[in-house]
Amino acid sequence: MIDVQGLQKSYKDFQAVNNSNFHVEEGEIFGFLGPNGAGKSTTINILSTMLQPTSGSVTINGYDVTKHQNRVRESIGIIFQQNTLDEKLTAKENLKLHCKFYGVPRSKRKARINEVLEIVDLTDSINLLVEKFSGGMQRRLEIARGLLHYPKVLFLDEPTVGLDPQTRAHVWEYILKLKENENITMFLTTHYLDEAEISDRIAIMDHGDIIAIDTPRNLKQQLGGDIVEIKTTDNEAAMKEIESDFDVVDLSLQDGFINCKVENSDAFVSSFIKTLQTPLTGLDIRKPTLNDVFLSFTGREIRD
Amino acid sequence: MEGIIAIWQRDMIKFFRDRARMIGSFSMPILFLVVFGVGMGGAMESLVASGIGTDEDFNYVEFIFPGIVSMTLLMTSVFSSLSVIQDRDFGYMREILVSPVSRVNIALGKMLGSASVAFVQGVMMFVLMPFLGISIDLVTLLQLLPVMFMIACAFSSLGLLVASLLNSMQGFQLVVNILVMPMIFLSGALFPLSNMPGWVDFIVTLNPVTYGVDLMKNIMIDVDNLSATVQEEMGLNLTFFGQPVTMTGEVFFLLGFTALLILLATLMFRRKN
Ligand SMILES: Nc1ncnc2c1ncn2[C@@H]1O[C@H](COP(=O)(O)OP(=O)(O)OP(=O)(O)O)[C@@H](O)[C@H]1O
Ligand SMILES: [Mg+2]
Repeated sequence: MIDVQGLQKSYKDFQAVNNSNFHVEEGEIFGFLGPNGAGKSTTINILSTMLQPTSGSVTINGYDVTKHQNRVRESIGIIFQQNTLDEKLTAKENLKLHCKFYGVPRSKRKARINEVLEIVDLTDSINLLVEKFSGGMQRRLEIARGLLHYPKVLFLDEPTVGLDPQTRAHVWEYILKLKENENITMFLTTHYLDEAEISDRIAIMDHGDIIAIDTPRNLKQQLGGDIVEIKTTDNEAAMKEIESDFDVVDLSLQDGFINCKVENSDAFVSSFIKTLQTPLTGLDIRKPTLNDVFLSFTGREIRD
Repeated sequence: MEGIIAIWQRDMIKFFRDRARMIGSFSMPILFLVVFGVGMGGAMESLVASGIGTDEDFNYVEFIFPGIVSMTLLMTSVFSSLSVIQDRDFGYMREILVSPVSRVNIALGKMLGSASVAFVQGVMMFVLMPFLGISIDLVTLLQLLPVMFMIACAFSSLGLLVASLLNSMQGFQLVVNILVMPMIFLSGALFPLSNMPGWVDFIVTLNPVTYGVDLMKNIMIDVDNLSATVQEEMGLNLTFFGQPVTMTGEVFFLLGFTALLILLATLMFRRKN
């Protein structure tokens, strides 16, 4: 559905996107993950015809984004990073205009508007001016609007930015619901790692380079096993002990916790509890998160 | 086609919703009307009267009024068109640009939206006529309205091109100072521009406002019944590089001007870095 080859974008001397290559299948949720300034929005803007690539080729739904812009535009819906609603208009007016821009047949408009408002739970606010909406409601309305013309591909550039955790959860719930019901291909960016986990596949981007593409599961598996966080009365001594006596993939000290990356946490913990000399004060076993993935690829924590 | 209508409609809805702006935009034309019409009117009338030496029925406000309406058309058109800069900053322009509406239709829709807003404002100025002792008959009105809309289209396309060249609202004040105001003063809208130095004449000749104002004057004032001296004094004998200007010529000038600027604005919308 989306095919990107050798994509590059530079602003004057600055290289915002470096030789990107990836392919997104129909019906897939593809996550683009990276810290601020990684080049996520730049990529989305090129894919949605809003920006001209410096070089490389991009096709969406079989159409080239530089040669068949209007065909591409008809095929996609986009939720930009910044709000693009008209706040002086009501929700209904915003949606109606969108129907006209995209040539949604007149007879279907009313039903479609009700349908998308239903999906994002805004049916009751249909006649309210958008400036009276909360940030979360506005974001949901934007998502609804992006769906009005039944796009084949939906781009979501940080759809939950600036929302409280509860609303964020809601928005993702809607997005997953959509994927189940409509089989829309979705391309989303975020710098919240937990959110990227809903993707079927994730590309990790940093400084304009794609440094890894895989399923969240494989990415985490590449890290090898589980992470055991240990707190002891003397972390230095405990670390020496672990290093000499146990088989760990990686060992680091972070925020007063020893992070042990191990192949198999069950075997490790059962033997470790028996033999460790330094008194234990805390123990936690967790599966690696995408944060760990990002850390291991870039050597830095992702942060927002 | 529906794209044009949608973009136009958005401007209309917002215009009729914003009463404060509607009232507010009258303040400037009324101020000018008072200063140039009432203030300078007496002096102008006696000047002209002494020149022709008869007591021909001559009312200066009649000459000023079409100019003030043109000025309203110009200012409202340009300001409304400049709202695309705001749309760009506040994002709505991206919603339009990412849609499959063709770029020329975006420019046309926006131009028609601004022109319609300006047209309505211009027509609303007519409520002042009874207070100024001017009247208009139905036939004149029916001739005037399409011409006013056409003038508004020309001014709106100018505003649109300027907006597409500007990067931010910061340039707004600059546009008002170096474009809108000079265009008003060098058009004959507020005072006649006879016997001006050559370079001023040159600007006046290329200024589209000149022809908008002149068209409106020719329709609203009973020009044929004025003495030749008054016609000359009031700047009604326009020339275009030596050629006498006809009303048909003026209409073509304005239509050509509009088409050219819409074309340029479309090219600007198409440009991406
Ligand atoms: N118009 C522009 N001119 C010059 N540089 C730009 C322009 N737009 C973006 N950049 C630069 O390109 C880089 C990538 O920007 P981009 O917006 O794609 O990042 P992002 O991954 O979306 O970040 P964020 O998480 O903050 O949204 C940044 O360093 C940015 O400063
Ligand atoms: Mg971004």
